Amino acid sequence: MSGLLVEAPGSGQDLAIEVGGLHQRYGNFEAVRGISFTVQRGELFALLGTNGAGKTTTMEVLEGFTRPGDGHVRVFGLDPWKDRRKIRPRIGILHQDAGFLGDLTVQETVTLWRGMSADAGRATIDNALALVGLESKAKVKVRQLSGGQKRRLDLALAVLSRPDLLFLDEPTTGMDPEARFATWKVIQDLKAQGATVLLTTHYLEEAERLADRLAIMHEGSIHTYGTVDEVVSGAGDQVAFRLPMSAAQAKERFAEGLPFVQGIAPIVTYTAGGTQVVYTLSEGSEAARAQAAVRSLLAWADGVGVTLERLEIRRGTLEDVFMRVVGEVR
Amino acid sequence: MRTDVLHAVRLARIDLTMLGRNQTALFNVVLLPLLIGWMYTTLAPEQSIEGVPADLFILTGLSGMMLGFVVFVNLVNSFTARREELVLKRLRGGQSSSVAIFGGAGLSAFALYAFQTVLLSVWISRLGDGGMPSNIPLMLLTGVLGVAVFALIAAAFSGITRNAELAQISVLPVLLVVIIGSPVMGPLSVFPEPLQIVSKLIPTTPVTEIMRTAYLGRDFIGDGGGTLTVAEQWIEALPSLGVLVVWVGVAALLARWLFRWDPRHG
Ligand SMILES: Nc1ncnc2c1ncn2[C@@H]1O[C@H](COP(=O)(O)OP(=O)(O)OP(=O)(O)O)[C@@H](O)[C@H]1O
Ligand SMILES: [Mg+2]
Repeated sequence: MSGLLVEAPGSGQDLAIEVGGLHQRYGNFEAVRGISFTVQRGELFALLGTNGAGKTTTMEVLEGFTRPGDGHVRVFGLDPWKDRRKIRPRIGILHQDAGFLGDLTVQETVTLWRGMSADAGRATIDNALALVGLESKAKVKVRQLSGGQKRRLDLALAVLSRPDLLFLDEPTTGMDPEARFATWKVIQDLKAQGATVLLTTHYLEEAERLADRLAIMHEGSIHTYGTVDEVVSGAGDQVAFRLPMSAAQAKERFAEGLPFVQGIAPIVTYTAGGTQVVYTLSEGSEAARAQAAVRSLLAWADGVGVTLERLEIRRGTLEDVFMRVVGEVR
Repeated sequence: MRTDVLHAVRLARIDLTMLGRNQTALFNVVLLPLLIGWMYTTLAPEQSIEGVPADLFILTGLSGMMLGFVVFVNLVNSFTARREELVLKRLRGGQSSSVAIFGGAGLSAFALYAFQTVLLSVWISRLGDGGMPSNIPLMLLTGVLGVAVFALIAAAFSGITRNAELAQISVLPVLLVVIIGSPVMGPLSVFPEPLQIVSKLIPTTPVTEIMRTAYLGRDFIGDGGGTLTVAEQWIEALPSLGVLVVWVGVAALLARWLFRWDPRHG
């Protein structure tokens, strides 16, 4: 069993979430195909992945919404389905989509929610609204809120009871940059107070900024996981530059093509400003290899008499890893 | 358990607040059945039924039919709309148990039903001798069981109703059976044979008969219509109460089987 688990450093008591070989199907369709990961207490774990990858499905199993299919699932060492009543008071859920009673005001909504949360006594309504910047909307009917404002109210409700474990399914979708930033702060503050967070997002920057560890899912499977550094280091360094010419000019000048570097072909993108050329060096590349690559490119440039604009060595990004994971499978 | 009750009360209070803000719904739910009752009294063919003035007989038998509106239609609508609007999903994601969420819905329906019953009692009292109903505890128990049956049936029905618009239609068959099949206008024995069988099977019939008995202090469950003491009323009502308890069980199974929290289903 434990062979299936992706062990976090430290385990057993320290684990908030354990998933081992989870399969989840809807009728004949297998939405989750044997995934395994663990989340330590106090950790922020991000589930990234394509649309329909199975992130929400996985979350809903862990939240005790859906009966787990095959595999091993534990939340605080308990069965999220059978021990729902024990787990619920300790968790906060922000669904990807959940409705409000539109006829209630923002204030009434928070009041109702507070009346139904175990540990919300400490949180005043004003505090809860201030946390998400909705003070001025207290008396407004929920159906009159904008999409982003509803998302903020969602967050206010999810964190109202100061949960030990927070499920955030795309919390910042639809938020403006300022609200997104404020949301990150709310999440980081909760984490600083010891909360564990399982987050999904399509904003890779968000994951890079917040996550201790992350996993990338695609079509029901986890393809990569680890700390942001571990995951990104697999991406390999990149050497990039721009040629100040159009597609047609570039093709005419370099009829026999751009050079290979260390056996790697470039990816060429034609933009309005010129021709962008990127070499992705093999995974986990050393600084020395990048240096050698630059040297050979400079030699080539001198040879053909062209200027390499904005020549740079850059670290692979999470986006590169993401695109590769998706691309490999496709 | 205590938390469940507390949560149910809070949810019920919110339900009633919102209903208060929606006058059309309030009219349909609370006043429509009374209006139908009034219509019935104008249609009554005889001066008296079973030895009771016709209008008194009819009004004391409205309680069964009222459940169809105030509990069944009301809750099918609200369960279905809230499922489709993903409100049920939110509630279920909170800290309230399913029992508390159902309890809240049932409680708000019960409060409305009780309010309606009080209105009806005042009306009946003004028609009759001005006194109180004969057996209020029996009415209360019957009311609780009746609301439970129809709240659970509503939960089951909402599960097979795709959206709030269709809820208007999907409730009609049940409503029709309840309106036609309950012995409001006369005792069961005057119904045509096939209708009698339907009437005996549906849960509004015991409610109608017990309530009428409890209002008037006379036997409208067995035959006769003779005067009954309070103790005799309880004894006479026992089999009908048993039928209601069985109905609660059946309806609970149906609800368990058919109810849906989430629209993202098949
Ligand atoms: N109730 C359901 N019935 C049938 N298929 C479903 C159901 N719920 C989800 N699916 C399917 O399961 C797959 C995974 O869905 P899920 O919502 O978990 O994806 P996701 O990773 O959260 O995607 P997104 O990023 O778009 O939110 C999808 O292909 C979806 O169509
Ligand atoms: Mg999702």
